[in-house]
Amino acid sequence: MFNYYGDKTVKLNPMELYNLLPKTNCRLCEPKTCMAFATKLALGDISPDECPPLLEPGFESNLEKIREMVAPMLSAEATGIKLDEEKCTGCNNCVVVCPVDVAAEPPTSEGKAAMSTDTVFRVENGVSKIINLEKCRRFPPDRLNCRVCEQYCCTDAIEIW
Amino acid sequence: MENIVCNGCSLLCDDVSAEVDGKTVNTLGLCRLGHAHLETAVKQKAGSIEKNLEKAADILASANNPLLIGWTHATNEAIKEGFDLAATLNGQFVSGADLGPGQTMTHSIHNQSLDVDLEYVRNNGEFIIYWGSDPSESLHRHPSRFAVLPRGEKIPEGIESRTIGVVDVRQTETMKMANHRLILPAGSDAELLDVVISELEGKSAIKESVLGIPGSELIGFVSGLQKSDCTVIFYGSGVINSGNHEANLTKIEKLVEVLRGVGKEAYALPMFVPSNTMGVIKAKPKVNPLQKIASGEYDVALVVGGDVLLELPGKAAKSLAKAKLVYVGTPGGLTDKRAEVSFHCQDTIVAGTGTMTRVDMNDIQFKKWKASKDVDSISDVLSKLHEIIKKKA
Repeated sequence: MFNYYGDKTVKLNPMELYNLLPKTNCRLCEPKTCMAFATKLALGDISPDECPPLLEPGFESNLEKIREMVAPMLSAEATGIKLDEEKCTGCNNCVVVCPVDVAAEPPTSEGKAAMSTDTVFRVENGVSKIINLEKCRRFPPDRLNCRVCEQYCCTDAIEIW
Repeated sequence: MENIVCNGCSLLCDDVSAEVDGKTVNTLGLCRLGHAHLETAVKQKAGSIEKNLEKAADILASANNPLLIGWTHATNEAIKEGFDLAATLNGQFVSGADLGPGQTMTHSIHNQSLDVDLEYVRNNGEFIIYWGSDPSESLHRHPSRFAVLPRGEKIPEGIESRTIGVVDVRQTETMKMANHRLILPAGSDAELLDVVISELEGKSAIKESVLGIPGSELIGFVSGLQKSDCTVIFYGSGVINSGNHEANLTKIEKLVEVLRGVGKEAYALPMFVPSNTMGVIKAKPKVNPLQKIASGEYDVALVVGGDVLLELPGKAAKSLAKAKLVYVGTPGGLTDKRAEVSFHCQDTIVAGTGTMTRVDMNDIQFKKWKASKDVDSISDVLSKLHEIIKKKA
C-alpha cells in the first residue's frame, strides 16, 4: 500500500463557507458573487481577506471561523492520496481519466496504456502506481479539488482526502 | 520493454509492454490479470515434441470416435489445423465456446448485424450499458480502453460525454462509474427488458416500482436511451447463463430494433472472457451438445489449448477423463496430468506468433519478442500430427 500524505489536507464544503459570508453580492471581489467566492475559498484559490465586507465590523466571528476552516488548504503543499495495491486491478481507469496524464501522453485519452514517465499514474506489473505525484492538479500552483481518479476507481483502491 | 499482445482475456490488449529479466517479469499497461498470466506463462517450459508424435498419432488414428476439444485459448491458426485434423480423423470438434457462448451465438441476435467494432464504440458510444456483465471483475480494461472513459471522435470529453448504465442482480464494482444502476431479481432480465421496450414504444409501462426498481430510476434509464444517438449494450454471463438466455437475447434484440426504429444507432455485443472464444465461434458457428461427452461417446480426445477436465461440468469431465487423452498446450493442469501423451508448448503471449479474435471479432496479430523461443507452437504440433496421421491412413 502506498500512502501519499500532504502537509495538511482538508475537505471543504462551499455551502458551509457561503453561509458565513456577508452574502451581499457586492461585486467588490474578483469572483463577483458570494457563491463563486465560497467555491474559490473551498478550492484554496482565494483568501478570505479578499472579501471587503467580511473585514467590516460585525463579521469578526465569521471571518475567524472561515480563516480557521481554510487555513490548512491555503498552506497545503501536497495532496493526500492513498493507492491500495491490494485493491487495484490495473484497469487503467485512473490513467485514462486523469487530465494531467492525457496532456502528458495524449494516447491515454483514447484509452491506451501509459508508457512514458511523464504521467501521474502508470500501470506497472499489473497495478497502478503514482509515479509523479507532484504533477497532480491538487498540488500548487493549480491546487484544484480534482478527484476524478478516486471517482472512477471501481475498486476504491484510490482514496483522496 | 517491448510491445507485446496479451491473451489474458478476450480484449487481447496490444498497447502493452513487457520485459523478462531472469525470473523477474516487468510490464507496463497490463492489468493484474494479464500480468499474472504472463508471469505464469514465462515460467512454463515448452518441451521437445518429436519423441511423442508417433505415439499420439497412433492413439488418434486408432480412435473409433475421437473428440477434438479445448481451443478457446488456442490461436486461429491452431483452430484451423484442428478443423482439418478433425476432418481427417472424422472426429468431433468441440470447444469451450459450446458450453454457453456458442449456444448464445446461434441466437438470431447475431444475424442482425448488432455487433460493432470496439473502436467504433470508443468513438461514438453515448449510452453504454453493461447488462449482466461486470468488466471490473473480468475484462478489467474494457471501460478504460474502449467503452466508458476514453475520448473519441464524437465523445470529446470521455466519460463526461457518455451515459453509463449497469443492470445486474447485485451491486457491482462497475456500478461505481454508472449514471443508472438497476438491480433486478435473478432471472427477470426479459421482464425488465419488456417494460423498457414498452415504455420506449410509448405505452407508459413504468409504474411506481418495477421488479423492485423505483419507477423514477427506470424512467431515467429509458430517458437515457431516448436521448442517446448511439447505444451499445454489452451483455454478459448474467444474460447468457441465467437459464433464460433465449428470451433474454430475444428481448435485447428487440430493444435494439426499437431504438433503430426511431432513427438511433444501437448495438449489442457479448462479453466473453476466454481469450479466443470469438476465434472458435468465428470459425465454427454451429455448436454441439455437451451430452455426447457426458455419455462417454468419445474413446479418444485430443485436448488443445485448455484444461477441459477443469472447465467442463462434473459429469462431462468424469466421462472425458475415462477416454484416452492427448494434450497439446501449456504445461500444467488436470488435463495435462491425466493425458497419455502431452505436448508442451509456449503460451501465445510468450510465443508471440499467430492471431486471435478479439471479443468484437477483430483479428489481433501476436508479436514476437525477446522472451519468445524458437519452439513448436500448438499449430505446429497439430500440423505435424496431421501429417503423420495422413501417412498412416
